[in-house]
Amino acid sequence: MNFRRIKEFFVESAIKISGIASIFIVALIFFFLLKEGVLLFKTEKITHFIFGKNWYPISDPPDFGILPLILGTLLVTLGAALIAVPFGVAAAIYISEVAPGKLKEVLKSGIELLAAIPSVVLGFIGMITIVPWMKIIFKIPTGLTAFSGSIVLAFMAMPTIVSIAEDALHSVPKAYKEGAYALGATKWQTIYRVVLPAASSGVVAAVMLGIGRVVGETMAVMMLTGNSPSMPRGMLYPVRTLTATIAAEMGEAVQGGDHYYALFAIGIILFLITFAINITADLVIHRKRQ
Amino acid sequence: MIIFQEDSVKAMDNKIIHTENVDLYYGNFHALKNINFSIAEKKITAMIGPSGCGKSTLLRVFNRMNDLVEGARVTGEVKIAGQNILAGNTDLLNLRKKVGMVFQRPNPFPLSIFENIVFGLKIHQMYQKNKNKLMEIAEQSLKAVLLWDELKNKLNHLATNLSLEQQQKICIARLLVVKPEILLMDEPCSALDPISTARIEELMQELKKDYTIVIVTHNMQQAARVSDETGYMLLGELVEFGDTQRIFTAPTDRRTEDYITGRLG
Repeated sequence: MNFRRIKEFFVESAIKISGIASIFIVALIFFFLLKEGVLLFKTEKITHFIFGKNWYPISDPPDFGILPLILGTLLVTLGAALIAVPFGVAAAIYISEVAPGKLKEVLKSGIELLAAIPSVVLGFIGMITIVPWMKIIFKIPTGLTAFSGSIVLAFMAMPTIVSIAEDALHSVPKAYKEGAYALGATKWQTIYRVVLPAASSGVVAAVMLGIGRVVGETMAVMMLTGNSPSMPRGMLYPVRTLTATIAAEMGEAVQGGDHYYALFAIGIILFLITFAINITADLVIHRKRQ
Repeated sequence: MIIFQEDSVKAMDNKIIHTENVDLYYGNFHALKNINFSIAEKKITAMIGPSGCGKSTLLRVFNRMNDLVEGARVTGEVKIAGQNILAGNTDLLNLRKKVGMVFQRPNPFPLSIFENIVFGLKIHQMYQKNKNKLMEIAEQSLKAVLLWDELKNKLNHLATNLSLEQQQKICIARLLVVKPEILLMDEPCSALDPISTARIEELMQELKKDYTIVIVTHNMQQAARVSDETGYMLLGELVEFGDTQRIFTAPTDRRTEDYITGRLG
């Protein structure tokens, strides 16, 4: 009897510790970022850092304005979302509601396979296909543009969106669909009036996670967007994202220097952006539930 | 002489559903065997029988819900208001508008009460632009299911948060807006407590004035209380069909008697 109680206590504690640990680790990461990042603001004003239009980290004196990088990230993300969300949700609807049994399985494993491709490989494929096509189709001097990055990132966000949205759609109770059919609804009416609203929180979560992945992606954007840290002028111009900046410059930044701290400060901004995306997703989900 | 008179009165009833030699197979399983009977207009017809006897399957023949089941195959004829609905060219959307269905578990959509009620109007593209008309119809239909007073100030609340009884009434109300002729009820009270069940039964008596109701129930007392005619099904066969009172007091078939006296459950 006593042994059972001890066992119970250990299992319970183990679960509790794992739960707390995940939150603790996130807090630790944020603290570490903050600790390194704030050192920049001894010499640099926050407003100048966020709204400054020039990123010249190794000039003398250096200029640490990350507005072009923030806009670059937003532009690439927006482009990717515009492509990935409609296609991803449509694919999820097709797989969950329309595709016949066998095809459904094939498509699902195909999507999972797409998720398994390393981003550097996707970036490489993008470099030898999309980049030259861009140049020819839009008659622009370089194919390394925000749009090229968006296209490849859309492919990376799609597996996340499709598989999570498909799960959400699939778990809509059959009774809802039967109710709609029994009222004389067509298949499409049933999908967009009943199944989609019923699964909306899951679909929103899928979209947000997909976008989160795009914001955080580094390798493929670095290979495809041209990495020009000037103010973005449009989808068909080279841009630089926050992630690419950290990845490209961390190696050459002097540890303990302002440049080094600035890169950590960029990390804070990135963290805040993804955090904001998650909070938004949460709010949307909660509002739906009421 | 009296019996003869009763029968002639019966013959004057308008029959709205006729089945002729209906057989249904799920793959190799013979689920309905040669069903022949007629259902009277604006009456309540109950189908009783043990689980798996095919009564729900039979109900789902009348609005072709079995089409959604893979491997289901129906033969024979089912005439509703003179038309064979098993014919290949049947307009299923129209059929299901005319023949509404209430399910065993209340299944309001996860939308607001109002959106649930006007769902049928929206999918059949009726009065879509006219918000006032939609509101008026929603009110009528909620009044018809005796929910208006309880819910008139909560129309934008989520229907899935209501009590099961209210949910089931919402499911009935959302059928009424498209003006069906027949209401199919598949064990509509099996998820409800006795008081809610009594209220739904009361509602059925109200609805009977305007609609033909076919109810499947495993609760014999319920069939005896609410229905005008009763059919007893066993292993896919319609064993006996007739006036409810007669079925429950003087069944002619031995198997029916076994069931209603509780020897077979």
